[in-house]
Amino acid sequence: MKVFKNRITRFLSTSLVAVVLLCVCVFSFLAFHMNQESTQTINQVGTLYMSNMSQQISMHFATTISLRLDQLDALVTSIPPDSGRAPNELYDELSYQANIRNFSYLGLYSTDGTLEMLYGEQLEVTDPEPFLASLNKGEKKVAIGTNADGEKVILLGVSTTYPMADGTVCVALVAGLPTSYISETLSLEEDDDQVYSFIIRRDGTFVIRSADAYRNSYFERVRMLYDDVGGMTPEEYLIEFQSAMNDRRDYSAECVIGGDRRHIYLTDLPYSEWYLLTTMPYSTMNSIVSGLSLQWGHTALLGGTVLLAALLFVFAQYFKLTRQQMQELDQARQDAEAATKAKSEFLSNMSHDIRTPMNAIVGMTAIATTNIDDKEQVQNCLKKITLSSKHLLGLINDVLDMSKIESGKMTLSMEMVSLREVFDSIVSIVQPQIHTKNQQFNVSIHDISAENVYCDSVRLNQILLNFLSNAIKFTPDGGSITLSLYEEPSTLGENYIRAHIRVKDTGIGMTPEFQAKIFDSFTREDSARVHKTEGTGLGMAITKYIVDAMGGAIEVNSELGKGSEFHVTLDLERADTPESDMILPDWNMLVVDDDRQLCESAVTSLQSIGVKADWALDGESAVEMAEKRHQARDDYQIILLDWKLPGIDGIETARRICKRLGENVPIMLISAYDWSEIEQEARSAGITGFISKPLFKSTLYHGLKQFVKTDTDAPDVEAADSYEQLNGRRILLAEDNDLNWEIASELLTSELGLELDWAENGQICLDKFRQAPAGYYDAILMDIRMPVMTGYQATEAIRALDREDAKSIPIIAMTADAFAEDVKKCLACGMNAHIPKPIDVREVARLLEKFVNPSSL
Amino acid sequence: MTLKECFEALGGNYDEVLGRLRSERLIQKFTLKFLEDGSYDLLCRSMESGDYAEAFRTAHTLKGVCQNLSFTRLYSSSAQLCEALRNGFTPEAPGLFDLTTQDYALTVAAIRDFQASIPQ
Repeated sequence: MKVFKNRITRFLSTSLVAVVLLCVCVFSFLAFHMNQESTQTINQVGTLYMSNMSQQISMHFATTISLRLDQLDALVTSIPPDSGRAPNELYDELSYQANIRNFSYLGLYSTDGTLEMLYGEQLEVTDPEPFLASLNKGEKKVAIGTNADGEKVILLGVSTTYPMADGTVCVALVAGLPTSYISETLSLEEDDDQVYSFIIRRDGTFVIRSADAYRNSYFERVRMLYDDVGGMTPEEYLIEFQSAMNDRRDYSAECVIGGDRRHIYLTDLPYSEWYLLTTMPYSTMNSIVSGLSLQWGHTALLGGTVLLAALLFVFAQYFKLTRQQMQELDQARQDAEAATKAKSEFLSNMSHDIRTPMNAIVGMTAIATTNIDDKEQVQNCLKKITLSSKHLLGLINDVLDMSKIESGKMTLSMEMVSLREVFDSIVSIVQPQIHTKNQQFNVSIHDISAENVYCDSVRLNQILLNFLSNAIKFTPDGGSITLSLYEEPSTLGENYIRAHIRVKDTGIGMTPEFQAKIFDSFTREDSARVHKTEGTGLGMAITKYIVDAMGGAIEVNSELGKGSEFHVTLDLERADTPESDMILPDWNMLVVDDDRQLCESAVTSLQSIGVKADWALDGESAVEMAEKRHQARDDYQIILLDWKLPGIDGIETARRICKRLGENVPIMLISAYDWSEIEQEARSAGITGFISKPLFKSTLYHGLKQFVKTDTDAPDVEAADSYEQLNGRRILLAEDNDLNWEIASELLTSELGLELDWAENGQICLDKFRQAPAGYYDAILMDIRMPVMTGYQATEAIRALDREDAKSIPIIAMTADAFAEDVKKCLACGMNAHIPKPIDVREVARLLEKFVNPSSL
Repeated sequence: MTLKECFEALGGNYDEVLGRLRSERLIQKFTLKFLEDGSYDLLCRSMESGDYAEAFRTAHTLKGVCQNLSFTRLYSSSAQLCEALRNGFTPEAPGLFDLTTQDYALTVAAIRDFQASIPQ
């Protein structure tokens, strides 16, 4: 058990840990994975964002530059070189117009690449070749130049042919703008310093750079600053970067500068040999997204915790349930063990109890064998053997009863029972034991309104016997035992009476603890003083069960050392009693008993059967009353005298009465004791006869009937030979044997007046029945073992016929087989009853009368 | 030979049968009729032919007749034979059949003696 419990605990804790670990792993993985995903997403979003922004900037650049170029172009158009104006005039006009348009510098570009300034400081073109080449081709172009201070200037060139100072014709008109113009217009330097852009040339030199990029070349900056670019070394990155520049395609990468991740986007700018490089540190987006992932992580953590908590809760509940179940199991096991223990204890007690009488039987048998010639000795032995056998039988019966009860097989068979007979027989059964133990025995019966009731007489006997034998067993010598019965109206209705049976003793009594479990199976008061008294300990359990089955109740009152009282209440159905039959002449009688209740009850009973009666509580007053009557010449016809009376006892009283009155008056002794013991003494004292207690009405009637002067004393008419009801009934008898048929025919025809038809086998029986009109036969007597068709088959066939009387006609088996299973089989195949051979006319008549419908004649 | 003596000779219970049939005339009539009863012949034939189901049935019939007539001795042997054949052939059956034959012979002999002693 314990091991099992530990195993469960271990299993639970292990699986709990496993689940927790699994939870942590899954959520960690999810968090990690989502983080990865979000990083990738940031990259994608960054690329998208950057490309968009770079394109914006690039387009803005293109728009700004082309606007400026257009302005310059418009200047050229409004002041055509071939207008025939003087060069100075032209220059003034151009300068004026350019100034209006906010150009900081203006000059003419010669074919050899020198710049002749119209206003503003002298400028140097930083990378003249491509600029010049483009302008020579007549294109518009942007380039960068430096002034005398080394400041960078954006140069815009539009090809045209203005005369130059040296008389030659220029290639283009070049206007200059400070780089700050571009960076401001393009907002290359964002305020928040998060996004910044450079404009670089193909060789990596900066055209416009932000403040911290103090180096001349971007490439140099890369080589010095960049730790890692998208998993590449700076050199590898530069190679890729330059190839993207050469192909003039957009390029994006991710780099780490000083541990700070940045996104880089490269796009080329129109009208120039320049590229726009936009950089955005990740920290911004990162902080947003990492906030998101942090939140995500928190949520996941929270979710995990909630899940874990739920799991823990479920585990805890489950664990609790399991523990509870275990406890219940444990309890059940303990109960079962206790029951087993009780049973095995019971078994060992029983074995002991069985062995005791068995030993006596064996021993006595041995003694009888050795003394086979000593008749007295043998008789003595046999007597003891008989006693022991009876005791043994009692034990075995108890055990059988209990096993019947425990398997639920005990049933009650309700039949009409005379309480008088039950009590009479009980009293006569217990008398010898009471006598042996020299105990006083009182039987008190009063308020009996119904003597005949429906009850299981065997079981009722068993109840009474159990109580009484217990009372006798546990009451010491000289103690007293009282059995009383009275009736009162039942709550079940008028057809019922409530019978109260009390058995009271002055015995050793019971402890309250034992009273509580007295009706349990297999218990016996386990104390030294009881051990010498034998018994199965089942009696009370059986009694309780029977009383329960009868719908009654048992009460116990007991005090240790003072005695016990058992009180059974039963609701019993009245059975009709032919009361009118019980009428005696209108005698005067005297009832003498020390129990007032008994006297009154007896007087009432006597009155109801037509007898007037007086009563007295002791011998002396009885003698007085009898004498008084005698003197008044109005003697009592009969006197009923209790044996045990206070003062002078019944026999002495009788003696005195006889002395005074002569022996004319019959005196009957009433007692619960055995008459035979005192008969001789009683008769010599003048007592005529004996009526056994309890005094039911019918007890009195039957006891007194003998004194009725009989001229109408008809003998009991036994209805044995009058079967008028069966006279002329038509019976079909199936019997294959001629001789049996003749015997049956002879007996049933002559004795019962039946009309018999013979069917030689089952088939003929079936045919005859089928051919006869419905109701023609009143019954069928059926042999079982017949050729062609057995009685079983014939019965089944008849029952299956489709006619009115097929189901109802009584079919009674008559066969030489009388085993219980034969009877059962007969009933199972549709027969009503079974008569074993040899044919007994009375039995046949009884069953026919029972089954044949009297109205069908 | 009286009927009662005849019953003693064949191992029957005269008092019992008288209790049931109630008349000596009837008992005599049926006892003599027993000589014509074919159950035993049928039993012999079915035992010989090995038809033990039929043998059971005829033994059963013989048993029934003996019960009705209180031929206790023959009843006892035929009843034993009947039980030995109830579920088909058993090794006890032939021995019991011999016993039945003996008892039957004894019974028939007693009845014939009685029959001979009746004044015609």
